Amino acid sequence: MGKIIFFGGKGGVGKTSCSTAYAIGLSQKGLKTLLVSTDPAHSISDLFSEPIGSEVKLLSENLYGIEINPEEESRLYINKVRMDLKKIMSPIIMEDLNKQLDAAIVSPGSHESALFDKMVTLIIDENESFDRIVFDTAPTGHTVRLLSLPELLGGWIESLMSKRKKTISLKNMIGRNREEEDPILTILSRRKENLEKARRIMMDEDQLEFAFVLNAERMPIQETKKAVELLRHYKIKVSTLVVNKILPEAAEDEFWRHKKLKEREYLKEIKEGIQADHIFEIPLFQEDMTENTICHMANFFSEKL
Amino acid sequence: MNALKEFFINLGLFFQGAFDMQQRSRGHIENEANDIMDQFMILCFGDYLGIDLPTSYYALELLPYLAEDLENWQSRMTDKKSIWEEKGAKLDMDP
Ligand SMILES: Nc1ncnc2c1ncn2[C@@H]1O[C@H](COP(=O)(O)OP(=O)(O)O)[C@@H](O)[C@H]1O
Ligand SMILES: [Mg+2]
Repeated sequence: MGKIIFFGGKGGVGKTSCSTAYAIGLSQKGLKTLLVSTDPAHSISDLFSEPIGSEVKLLSENLYGIEINPEEESRLYINKVRMDLKKIMSPIIMEDLNKQLDAAIVSPGSHESALFDKMVTLIIDENESFDRIVFDTAPTGHTVRLLSLPELLGGWIESLMSKRKKTISLKNMIGRNREEEDPILTILSRRKENLEKARRIMMDEDQLEFAFVLNAERMPIQETKKAVELLRHYKIKVSTLVVNKILPEAAEDEFWRHKKLKEREYLKEIKEGIQADHIFEIPLFQEDMTENTICHMANFFSEKL
Repeated sequence: MNALKEFFINLGLFFQGAFDMQQRSRGHIENEANDIMDQFMILCFGDYLGIDLPTSYYALELLPYLAEDLENWQSRMTDKKSIWEEKGAKLDMDP
C-alpha cells in the first residue's frame, strides 16, 4: 500500500467520512497516520468535535490531523509579499499594488495555488515522520488539476530561470551586473527543488495512490470511470474503491427491495468495470457521521486493512 | 494547458527570430538583455496585460524584486505601440 492516499469523489459521497474512518483504521493498526483536510468547510473538526486548525495536531494514539485553509494560506503568502513591497515602494505605487494584492488574495486561482503549495510543503516535510498521509481532497476535477500542476509549474520555472540567467550573463558582458547572488534565481531554484521533490513522491506509484469514494448509483459509476481514466493518464494509480452508503437488506418494502436489487447490479458493474486492488463496501448508517458513529465506519476499514 | 505551453514556445521562437539578425554590439547586447527581461516579465506578470496565466500566484513572491522594473515595463507595454507591433516591425525587416 502506498504511503500517501488521496481520497477523491463527488461532493457528498462521503470523502470526509471515509478518509477519516480510513485514517482511524490505519492508526488502530499501529501506523502513525496524518489526516489532512483540504476542505475549507473544515468538516474533519466536526468528526473529532474539537478544532484542528493549520498545525499538525495529535487526535488519538497514532492519529494526527491538520486542516488546510486555502484562503488563509493565500493571505499569509500575499501579505508577506505586501510587507516586502512596503519597504521599497512609494506609498502612491503601494496603493495601486495593494488593490492588485487584495484581489489576488480572494481569487479562486490563488486559493488553488495556495492549497497546492501547502500540500507540497506537507508532503515534503511530513513524509519522513509518518507511516501514512491521508488527504481528504476536493472534487475530482480539482484534484487532477492539482496533480498536473508540477509539470506546468516546472516548465514555467525552468523558462524563467534560463531567461534570468541569460539576462544576467548579457549584463555581465557589458559590465552591468548588480549583485553576487541573484535573489530571483535563489527563489526560483528553491521552488524548483521543492517541486521536484514533490513530483518525485507524487508520481511514484508506490508512494502515492488514489482512493475513490462513490455510491452505487448509475451516474457516479460513469463519472468514476472517467475520473479513473483521467488519473491513469496522469500516471496516478487508483488502487482503492470505496462504495459508500450501501443499503441494508430490507426485504419487506417493495420500494426498498427494488432499490436494493438495482444497487446489486451497480455493485457488480463497479467490480467488473473499474479496475482497483481493493474495494471496500461501507453500509449506510442510520445516523450521520459524528465523533461517536465514525468508529463504526472505521471498523469496516480496519477489518480489511 | 497545451495552449499555454505552445504560448511559451512561440514566445521564445518569436523573440529568437528578432535577435538573430542583430549584431552583437554593446547597444545590441543591452537591447537583447532588455528583450529577455521583457519576456521574463510577461511570464511573471502577463495577467496585468490581460494574458491569463495559471502561474500568476507563484510569480507574486518575485514582485518585491521586480516592482521597480514592473512600473516601467507596464507603461512600455501598454504604450500605444505594443511590444508585439514593435517586434513585428523588426521581423518585417527580415529580407
Ligand atoms: N455510510 C454513511 N452512512 C450514513 N451517513 C453517511 C455515510 N457516509 C457519509 N454520510 C453522511 O453523508 C454526508 C456527506 O458525507 P461527507 O463525508 O461529508 O461527504 P464529502 O466529504 O464527500 O462531501 C454527511 O452528512 C455524512 O455524515
Ligand atoms: Mg468533504
